[in-house]
Amino acid sequence: MRTLSSWWHMLHLVGIALVMGFSRSTYRQANRNATYRYIYTGTWQILPWFTLLAALLSLVLIRIVIVTALSYGLSRYALEMMVRVLVLELIPLSAALFVALRAGLAFNSAQLPATAQTAAVPDIMQLQQDLVPRVIASAFSVMSLATVSGLIVLLLAYINVYGITPWGLLDYTRTVGRVFEPAVTLGFALKTLLFGLAVAVVPTAAILENARCNVTLSSTLQPGATRLLFVLVLIEVGALAVKYI
Amino acid sequence: MASAPDSPVPPAPPQPPANVEFKALLLLILMAALVCGFVLYVMYARGVFESTQRLVLVADDSEGVLVGMDLTFSGFPIGRVQRIDLGPDGKARILIDVPSKDANWLRTSSIFTLERGLVGDTRIRAFSGVLDDPLLPPDSVRTVLRGDTAAEIPRLVATARELLENLQTITAADSSLNTSLANVQAMTGRLTGPYGVLGGALGSDENARKLLATLDRVNALLAKTDQRVFGQPGQRGVMDDAQAAIVQLNAVLADARTSLTKVDAVLAEAQAVGSNVRVASNDLGTLRAEVEVSLRKVTQLVDEINRKWPFARNTELKLP
Repeated sequence: MRTLSSWWHMLHLVGIALVMGFSRSTYRQANRNATYRYIYTGTWQILPWFTLLAALLSLVLIRIVIVTALSYGLSRYALEMMVRVLVLELIPLSAALFVALRAGLAFNSAQLPATAQTAAVPDIMQLQQDLVPRVIASAFSVMSLATVSGLIVLLLAYINVYGITPWGLLDYTRTVGRVFEPAVTLGFALKTLLFGLAVAVVPTAAILENARCNVTLSSTLQPGATRLLFVLVLIEVGALAVKYI
Repeated sequence: MASAPDSPVPPAPPQPPANVEFKALLLLILMAALVCGFVLYVMYARGVFESTQRLVLVADDSEGVLVGMDLTFSGFPIGRVQRIDLGPDGKARILIDVPSKDANWLRTSSIFTLERGLVGDTRIRAFSGVLDDPLLPPDSVRTVLRGDTAAEIPRLVATARELLENLQTITAADSSLNTSLANVQAMTGRLTGPYGVLGGALGSDENARKLLATLDRVNALLAKTDQRVFGQPGQRGVMDDAQAAIVQLNAVLADARTSLTKVDAVLAEAQAVGSNVRVASNDLGTLRAEVEVSLRKVTQLVDEINRKWPFARNTELKLP
């Protein structure tokens, strides 16, 4: 019963965040400043390192895929496979996990006023000042990391497959065009947005709920971490199922 | 609910870094540019900005054909499948968009194939044998030729089975090939026998032995013949006698040639005599004519005399 209540509390918070996110009154100067601050801490500070890490890991995976495909005579499928696996699936998931570790799970309920921590109904004004900028910044962060890393991976894949030459650009462009069908592109954008929303809301909801219910943590695991992981996997599996089944 | 009065004072929030707003805006602008650029690139990659012409390929079976797959010409993609319909005649209609810049590779005589291998995806290929033919007009409908490896397998299996049955028939214990091989083995056995190839060719060693005996006799006969024809050492043989006879015959022939020369001279003289006789015969004719003239004159003279007196006769006939 408590689990259901917890999930309901989380969904309620998601609904509130979305409604406020589309409300003009949310984007006041104070909230914009908060949003900028979250964007700075959640994106600007981690973007270079995450891009570097993603490029290194992707380079290893690209080499493995290319060598394996060449040994089996399937090199014409290597590029498409790399784009589908790395750019569409692994990079967004990695970005979401990275943002969750950096920003989502770092949420501290003690920063909120005591009334906001213990209120049965969330304080709208407080959420508008704190939750919505976090949601926006997290969604933007996930999308930024996924976009930049995805572009870097596309560049690395091209260089690994064709070398530093412009003559493979036409074939490469056709392959990218074949992979990024309209439905796939929309699914990619939607999945990234859902990742960002989950990263921002799930840990926050869990922390607020724990503060409201005075739950003493029995472990050092951040509240909502398991649920966040579950939600992320659920979104990923759902996207894969819609795309390939 | 207020916080406990003895609770520690929360630490002051850290001072925000400088230019946070500018950096965040810069990130927003950069991301917006990246996303817009990528969307435009994907649209370009999918041929949104290209002018295309429609080509319709009709196939019995569109299995393996997917929306977005390429139409290739000489290995280069020149078109993309946009839609697959089921036509009113029950055949699949594959609608392909060909960019205008690549449409010049398609001619009215172009052939389109749909190939499906055991491994890998299906391929649609175009072949233009005569590039001087007129360009393929837009919205053309062409029948696609299928090259299906999977469909060939049952026929291949049936052919292989037939082949194996034939092979089994050939290699059976009572087959012609087996019998022939046995015969070959028997013959090679004879070849390795005391009479070798001769025994194998003649069928048995007995026949070979007879042949060898015959050859021996022929050899003996030839030796005797040689002895008779060419003689023994120090003696004259038939050939020597024949050679002497030929020499003598040559002398006889020379004598005969001389005699014939003399006969020729005699004949020449006889010919001269003959010609003389012919001339004499002509003179005799003339002489005879002259004699006849003289006799006629004599007769006329006698008659003249008889008409004269005392030899006159009354030749008058009086009618009664």
